[in-house]
Amino acid sequence: MSYGGKQVLNGINLEVQKGQIIGYIGPNGAGKSTTVKIMLGLIEDYKGKVVIFGQDISTGDPSYKRRIGYVPENAEAYDNLTAMEYLVFIGELYGLDQAFAQGKAESLLQQFDLIDVRHARLSSFSKGMKQKVLIISSLLHNPDLLFWDEPLSGLDANSMMVIQEILSQLAKEGKTIFYSSHIMDLVEKISNRIVLLVNGKVVADGSFEELQEQSEEGSLSGIFNQLTGFTEHREKAAHFVSVVRGDHDDAGV
Amino acid sequence: MREFKSLKFIALFKGLFRRFGVDYEVMMLILRIKLTMDERRVPTVFNEMGKKKEGNQFLKSLWIYGIYSLLLLPFLFIGENYIFQMSIMFGMILFILMTSMIADFTSVLLDVRDKNVLQTKPVDKKTITVAKTIHIMIYMSFVTGAFVALPLFVGLYRHGPLFSLVFLVEIILAMLLVVVLTSLLYLFVLRYFDGERLKDIINYVQILLSVGLVVGYQVLIRAFEFSDLNINYSFSWWHFLIPPIWYGAPFEMVLNGNTAWHMIAFTVLAVLVPIVAIFVYSRLMPSFERNLEKMLSDTKSRRPGPHLLDGFWAKLLCRSKEEQVFFRFSALMMKKEREFKLKTFPNLAMSLIFPFLFIFNELRIRSLADISEGNMFLFIYFCNIMIPGTIFMLKFSGSYKGGWIFRAAPIERESAAFSAAIKAFLTKLYFPIFLVVGIAYIFIFSARILPDLGVVLLSAILHSLITYRIMKDEDFPYTRSFEFAQDPGSARMILLTFILGAFLGVHFIARAIDYGIYVYLVLLIVAVFVGWRKTFPEDRKVDDVKGTSKAEVEM
Repeated sequence: MSYGGKQVLNGINLEVQKGQIIGYIGPNGAGKSTTVKIMLGLIEDYKGKVVIFGQDISTGDPSYKRRIGYVPENAEAYDNLTAMEYLVFIGELYGLDQAFAQGKAESLLQQFDLIDVRHARLSSFSKGMKQKVLIISSLLHNPDLLFWDEPLSGLDANSMMVIQEILSQLAKEGKTIFYSSHIMDLVEKISNRIVLLVNGKVVADGSFEELQEQSEEGSLSGIFNQLTGFTEHREKAAHFVSVVRGDHDDAGV
Repeated sequence: MREFKSLKFIALFKGLFRRFGVDYEVMMLILRIKLTMDERRVPTVFNEMGKKKEGNQFLKSLWIYGIYSLLLLPFLFIGENYIFQMSIMFGMILFILMTSMIADFTSVLLDVRDKNVLQTKPVDKKTITVAKTIHIMIYMSFVTGAFVALPLFVGLYRHGPLFSLVFLVEIILAMLLVVVLTSLLYLFVLRYFDGERLKDIINYVQILLSVGLVVGYQVLIRAFEFSDLNINYSFSWWHFLIPPIWYGAPFEMVLNGNTAWHMIAFTVLAVLVPIVAIFVYSRLMPSFERNLEKMLSDTKSRRPGPHLLDGFWAKLLCRSKEEQVFFRFSALMMKKEREFKLKTFPNLAMSLIFPFLFIFNELRIRSLADISEGNMFLFIYFCNIMIPGTIFMLKFSGSYKGGWIFRAAPIERESAAFSAAIKAFLTKLYFPIFLVVGIAYIFIFSARILPDLGVVLLSAILHSLITYRIMKDEDFPYTRSFEFAQDPGSARMILLTFILGAFLGVHFIARAIDYGIYVYLVLLIVAVFVGWRKTFPEDRKVDDVKGTSKAEVEM
């Protein structure tokens, strides 16, 4: 897939079954977000074929999005709306009834301990709080497929555990979850399929166990390092620290 | 969330939207959310400050357009030479609408959040596009309404109902033209440039327009004096390129019964061009939305230019290293900060233009040789008009949140930050303009005015100091949000402009006395030195034993 003249993704061929939790990992700039954006129809001039729920998305019919929940990577939202207003708005965009969306949003906010701030503007929220609102907004309409781009950014350890648990329970109910993250331990634990993307190419695709066999590394971060060809982290760090210390020639001071 | 009257009006066209394949319910939903957000544009901080400013600030500022519209009225009374009167009127209307569109609605048109929030939902793209356009149209009709309501009624009284009818139809067409044309302009720019470049271009267009407004007004007043005469309109082919004339023609045709072929052609253009433009726009809108992505993904690194000159000035004007750092930082901010430029550059441009404008004005009455004898060079004081406004703006930045660094970094002399910022303002912004005007004036008035120019320059420095002292607060420069800068036209601002008058007055007196100007010059030098020292005290000890003592320089 290429778009806008730049080759960002190359020969990505993924077939995803119902009920899978797919951890989509890769170094910065590998093309993770681009993949998600293409699948959501944010990027149109790509080459290739994307079929979701048996529908080729290039037809321009947006109805397939009705069954998708999306959490964008940079917590982008209409900030000067209150949490409640935002959630009801999003629910209505997904075709929910206003009162229904409101009730559901309230109970979900309750679960995340955000009920007291539901009438405060999103702009006053911390990053973690906002992230929780966005996660709720992606679930209001009970979608079958979730695209979560860095859903855990800004969340504290406890909230992360809750989200983790939510993910696995949703998957048990037959939902498909496609998420990207940089937290390898977590991806290792909760994904039943891991796709590693490097420079727009899929370099590994399989369960954690399969990946382990392939690369003979114990942990996912080990596998990640190995497959992205990154082995000199120790030297890099040593060099960095020496520059900080100021005893290096090219420190530039 | 409440119901909006404007939406009730739009609801009348429900069927029309449906026919064009727009998801009407979703469109209304988006519009309601957008209008709700617009009401909250004002930062919450204002409420904390006890100044309760609720509601849509934009709507509350509409009365300004009502005042502007008074400018249109004279054209309704100067006879029935419609092609002239109405062309000039529509020139002004188009200009005002275009300015407002670019200044106030660019952010709406280029809102990239729409993409992430709306386009990921099961919403038809056409619906999003139409919602966006309607959103802008709602506000544009308010602006247009405020601007033409008065002329419309006066026109009704003066020229009858037929006039008003033609006027009304044309206003709607003109509004469509402006909205669509601006969108097409952005579309074009986005297609060939990246997002950052677009932001720069928009920035400069905005600056240019606000300068154009003031200068254009000056020029128009002049043109008005000529248009008293009864000139016969003679057609030239290039008139086809001037949209205001298209809109003048229908009046000529309908009311004066002038059916010359070019009048008909103009009228056809007036009606046809907006309609064709809408058609083109609806065709190109998808590619516009696509290119909007560019606004999001722009990590193209810029070639860092050498800032040798800044370094030179910094070393020359700032004694401590700390101040030099702040000087270079300020110079960079003035160059890069778009919002700062938007708020100050129009003033700078006027400072540059006015000293010449008045000379030109005078030229119509007497000769240059005559002028060069007199005191007209004192118009150079117009350069100093920019001082209060710009110094006031030094506190603000679009990225004010980065200001924590000043608190976190071990800064020894806090006053160095502002003294450097003022020095940077004087050298980077004020001085170049003063130099251009000064050199031109020396050509006109000969070298005899050199001591006077010296006085003006020193007054500028002193004026800056006074401005700073009056506006003083402990904040570092570039650490507050521009949202606070909303009303610089307060009493203090007017007071500060009066100071300019005081400087001018003293200058006059000094000129009246023999050698007075030289005495004044010396006095100013002393005042600047003492004033600067007092305003930005230097703690020697701190400079010498760097890093060992904690500086507590409170002002």
